[in-house]
Amino acid sequence: MLVTAPLAEFCALMIDEIYGELPSRIYASLLMRGRSTIQQLAGDTGMNARQLRHGLALLLQHNLLYYHLDTGSPQCFYEANVEHAYNLTRTGKILEMVEESFGPAAKDVMQTIILTGQARVGDLVDAYQKRIDRVNRAMEALKAEDPFGNGADSHELNGDTPPETKSEKKPDLLISSTAQLKSIICRLVDAELLDAVHKTTYESPEDLLAMFEAEILATYPGKEVKGNKAKAEYKDRVAEALRKDRSGSKSLKRKLEQNGLSAKRRKLFDGAASASGTPDGELDLGVDPNQVICINYEKCLVDLRNRRLMQFSADIIGTTTSWVYGSLLKLLSKDVSRCRDDPIIDHYEKDDERPVPVVVTTAQILDTIKTGLDLSVGLGKVDALKISTAAAEKITAQAPRKKFFIDVQAEVEGDATSDEEEEEEDVKPIMDLDYRPATNGVNGVNGTHVTSGANGVNGTSSKVKVEPRERRVDRRTQLRHHLLLLSESTQGFIRHCGVDEWTVDFEPLMRALRQVELDSAIENTAGREGIRLVRMLRAKGKLDEKAIVGICLMRKADMLKKLAEMQKAGFVQTQEVPREAKADVKKSFFLWYFDPEMALERVLDVAYKTMIHSLQVLDMLREENQVVLSLVKRTDVKGQEEGKLPKFYIDKYAQFLKHERMLLAQIHRVDDLVAVLRDY
Amino acid sequence: MAAIKSEGELAKLTIIKDELYETMKEHGSEEREFSQADIKALNVIPNNDTATLLKVIQALTDEKLLVGFALPGGEIRWRWRGREDARKYTSLPDEATMLVYGIIDSAGQDGVWVRHIKARANIQDATFKACIKVLETKGYITSMTNVEMPNRKMYIRADLKPSERATGGPWFTDGELDEAFIKAIEGIIFEYIKTRSAYMSRGTSVPQKLPRKGVVTGEVARGVKRTATDISHDDATPVPPTTKGVPPPRKKEMFLPMPAGYKKYPTVNEITEFIHMQKVSSAMLGVADIQALVDVLVFDGLIEPIAVNSRKGYRVVRPTKQDTLSYAKRKQEQEAHPELGEPELGPPPVSSAVTEAPCGKCPVFELCQEGGPVAPSTCVYFQEWLGLEEPAVLSGTVPP
Repeated sequence: MLVTAPLAEFCALMIDEIYGELPSRIYASLLMRGRSTIQQLAGDTGMNARQLRHGLALLLQHNLLYYHLDTGSPQCFYEANVEHAYNLTRTGKILEMVEESFGPAAKDVMQTIILTGQARVGDLVDAYQKRIDRVNRAMEALKAEDPFGNGADSHELNGDTPPETKSEKKPDLLISSTAQLKSIICRLVDAELLDAVHKTTYESPEDLLAMFEAEILATYPGKEVKGNKAKAEYKDRVAEALRKDRSGSKSLKRKLEQNGLSAKRRKLFDGAASASGTPDGELDLGVDPNQVICINYEKCLVDLRNRRLMQFSADIIGTTTSWVYGSLLKLLSKDVSRCRDDPIIDHYEKDDERPVPVVVTTAQILDTIKTGLDLSVGLGKVDALKISTAAAEKITAQAPRKKFFIDVQAEVEGDATSDEEEEEEDVKPIMDLDYRPATNGVNGVNGTHVTSGANGVNGTSSKVKVEPRERRVDRRTQLRHHLLLLSESTQGFIRHCGVDEWTVDFEPLMRALRQVELDSAIENTAGREGIRLVRMLRAKGKLDEKAIVGICLMRKADMLKKLAEMQKAGFVQTQEVPREAKADVKKSFFLWYFDPEMALERVLDVAYKTMIHSLQVLDMLREENQVVLSLVKRTDVKGQEEGKLPKFYIDKYAQFLKHERMLLAQIHRVDDLVAVLRDY
Repeated sequence: MAAIKSEGELAKLTIIKDELYETMKEHGSEEREFSQADIKALNVIPNNDTATLLKVIQALTDEKLLVGFALPGGEIRWRWRGREDARKYTSLPDEATMLVYGIIDSAGQDGVWVRHIKARANIQDATFKACIKVLETKGYITSMTNVEMPNRKMYIRADLKPSERATGGPWFTDGELDEAFIKAIEGIIFEYIKTRSAYMSRGTSVPQKLPRKGVVTGEVARGVKRTATDISHDDATPVPPTTKGVPPPRKKEMFLPMPAGYKKYPTVNEITEFIHMQKVSSAMLGVADIQALVDVLVFDGLIEPIAVNSRKGYRVVRPTKQDTLSYAKRKQEQEAHPELGEPELGPPPVSSAVTEAPCGKCPVFELCQEGGPVAPSTCVYFQEWLGLEEPAVLSGTVPP
């Protein structure tokens, strides 16, 4: 990740916000000076050794640092881990996501792990055991007082507040036994959301690369790689070594699988647990109590991306379809470990070595989709004659190549199917409407013939697709309607890669989403005319004024004003092309163009700065409300503000909390944008 | 001797001349270029005698019935000119005026810039002005403006209409872009595409197991007067419900996407036809003009092209977010309540996180820094955003 000044500032501020000033200052220094030894840090920050040790330990505990120790060297180098520091912003979102997919208990465990940074499984179990004991004791005491056992049920307002969430005040514990805890850990590990801390966790990617490169280089004669073939092989070997190292964190998952407890069984077990309250019998789930675990942000991002994509499809197509899409993504991303491939690690010399994209089938989706979801809604109802099944069912076996011009692509697509085919189709469905057997199942099988190319067969099999009016459509067909709609979309939500097989090409899809986010940022700044010009330049390339004015149907003066405005905002650029060898400004063409990369950088920059400013405003508000906040913090006031503080203070406190929520929510919203533009 | 000979010859020449002129007319339009070989092949000149040919052509050119011009290689070609036009030339007083008229004539529908005429004719300013005056009083030429270069003084033959390129096509009125007109047509086209590329759900979700009888299948453009084509189109779609059961509870109306492979997404040709049927404009709007407007709608992000088989149609984007009220209706409402502001086509843009916060729209964003002249901690926009302060008076520059 490219660390720009605003990003660095934001990370330092974020650490300041969560962990205080001491680690933040060390972190800021590391960001500014690059990797440093402890002596250098002492010189840069002016702190004493004790302070530094404390700060570094805290940062390390929370995975915010890399360190590197060369063999035989007395010096240890520390380096800032910007990814993790930035990901602190996403804690709330990750917890929400975990709660949604694994339940509140899992969220509780995840929260504990995030708060501690990294934890030994044994320690976690102990901590929870203690908590359970304490609550049990409290419950007993409570029962003694109140025979009906229904005490005041206080709900915490904010789940993000540190550990007091699990204080004695909460009688209904989310986790009632250590066995449940272990099963949750297993499930989270299985979902790759938790990761084992291993040997190379704290090596920065660059160090790791250098290490493996040196290791592999040593095996070559003369420690030199000569010739193109050898170079390619070398590159491949480095990538493979890195991949092997990366999969080291998956060892935990593998161990679980080896212990013979499949994900399914665990799920069953868990279901039983929640049904009967406490599972009987100690099941050792095979997690080594000495194993240290931490959160795996990469996988969390994949799941967050799924949520974002679901939102995206809901916006573009509709809610019902987005639920279908969500199920598909969930299935698909089981084997997707990260959002973006690393150019070095995921480099394959030969295309056939590249891992094939994951594919899911209609049946699989049908199995996972929520039964309560009514698939019959969310789509227009149209006469069968108006549907071209060949076009709808078109199978695209290959991932799309990177395209440069939208128009060209549209042309090619148009030519792909011959008119003849269409004519054939126009006739067929009419006949079929009467002949059609009552069950859809049979036709589903027919669907396999689509690839055979025989038109007659095509006609019959394609009948599955056509939505017959006044006839009950089975769920599978309805589901397919939604899937086909998704695959037809111009954004490329899914690709129909085989008969009843679906996959997602994340790269072009994310490009489309990035474009939508960029466009909305531009549209909200420069208006509809602005976005018109930008899209035009994107589609047509570089244009000069006259060409633009011919297409955009705007007054020339308005157009120039808008372009100048957007150039100032960094959304469009100009290029000067001299007409003659002697460059003369008066005799030059000025071409306007839209550079998505530059616009993206620009929006990212604004986003970081917005987040920084939000945090700074929050700081300012804290300062202003210093009096109230210091009162609220007092242990004798905490928790019973209503009774102990005058109304004026309570109002002020409430207002401050409201503003804090607004600002933090805004940071989260901006982070959503940053995630799309940078990480997904 | 020579005079007698020339007299006879002259008569002969006149005959040949007229015949050649008529034959050339028969062989092509005024646009056709005749080379010397072409003319010889007409077999009008006795014995294909080059000297005679030369004389004949000279005579015709003098009468302005033939226009000679040189190709880049030096070869000379001729075009014939109608007698009517030729008479215009011959009626002009002097050579210079003829020259000027010739230049304007050859420019055709595009017209020609004054400075170009001067440069080509290579005559003095005073003479030029006199020429123009003569031509204008005779009603042969008229001045015109070109939308691409509105500041240039240009002339065109009076009997010609300026070309599309010069007038800017139907979207221009008197050399000015007619934005109100464009907006109106855009509204009609967008409404047409919207109602034909998305399914209008009345929000009555019929239980799955019931036969779907009470559902209207064809969509009707609300608020827009239905035209004959619409009604005839409707005949193709199933007949609206006849059964009058208990009306299901009315829920929110919304547009829904069409199923994949829908074949009836409107194409540009259909849109053009629709516009013609609506008779919205006296100006002839060709397919190319409509295409230009549709392209703008695509660039505005309101519609998207979609190819089903080889048919290239257009459909509305984000159908579920579309306003079910038609543009025309909203426009009427706006006229009734002007405070609502001009209705925009399509749904409001997707909100962007950066522009929600004050910073995304801040005019002094670049200067803003803690410790600087403008700082987040003293930011009035943030105060306002948090509701701590009344909106500033300068509403023009203030972000919402």
